[in-house]
Amino acid sequence: MDGENSLSVIKLKNILLVTVPDDPGDDIIHELQTKVLHAIEKYQSKGLILDISSVNILDSFFARTISETTQMVALMGGKTVIAGMQPSVAITATELGLHLGKAISTLDVDRALDIFTDNFKLV
Amino acid sequence: MANQEAGENPIKSEGDIVTCRKLIRNAAVAAGFGMTDVTRIVTAVSELARNVYVHSGSDGVMRWEILHQPGQIGIHLEFEDYGKGIPDVDQAMEVGFTTAGTMGMGLSGVKRLMDDINIKSEVGVGTTITVEKWGRAK
Repeated sequence: MDGENSLSVIKLKNILLVTVPDDPGDDIIHELQTKVLHAIEKYQSKGLILDISSVNILDSFFARTISETTQMVALMGGKTVIAGMQPSVAITATELGLHLGKAISTLDVDRALDIFTDNFKLV
Repeated sequence: MANQEAGENPIKSEGDIVTCRKLIRNAAVAAGFGMTDVTRIVTAVSELARNVYVHSGSDGVMRWEILHQPGQIGIHLEFEDYGKGIPDVDQAMEVGFTTAGTMGMGLSGVKRLMDDINIKSEVGVGTTITVEKWGRAK
């Protein structure tokens, strides 16, 4: 019943598409940061789409990691777009007082790709 | 099929945080809580279980019970640790208060997600945090 419970990192032209499993443990969240930064270096990526459409829990630890990762990606010259937050997660995160730093959010991965093509002109 | 109306789970490792979340998600869904309330409850569990694991400096335990009242369902959760305790409970409840370099949203945020929160703490003995959430029965 756990389903797929690991991170997926896919290089898509010059950006990275990273998909987070539904109930990520602390180990996966720690892994997210290092995996993303190393993949950006390896593929010379200019941006990151973090697909959290499967994620059904976002607590303060996860939010902090997303915010920090966005900052680290920016230090490496890249942009981050968070895609697909579920309604119940958005409600809970707001009530909990969480913020995701400077990351841009979109409804889904398609719209995140649009931002990279139309706004950032990176794809 | 395990009884989901009540139970307990130890909090001794990072992995236990995920186990606590899964147990309570299953129990809350089975009890009939709506999707948003399930997310609120599971998020509160994550904050409180991590609180035990990261801050208390000791092992702890989570206990839960599903409550029934006419037209209503509830969940009662208790997080007990035998750690260093919280010197100033009122201060710990303030937004932005942190001793761990985190956002400091933990306890004050949990209070907003749940209907009721109660903290009993004694320095050097431990802390017990109880929370409750009520919803309309299906």
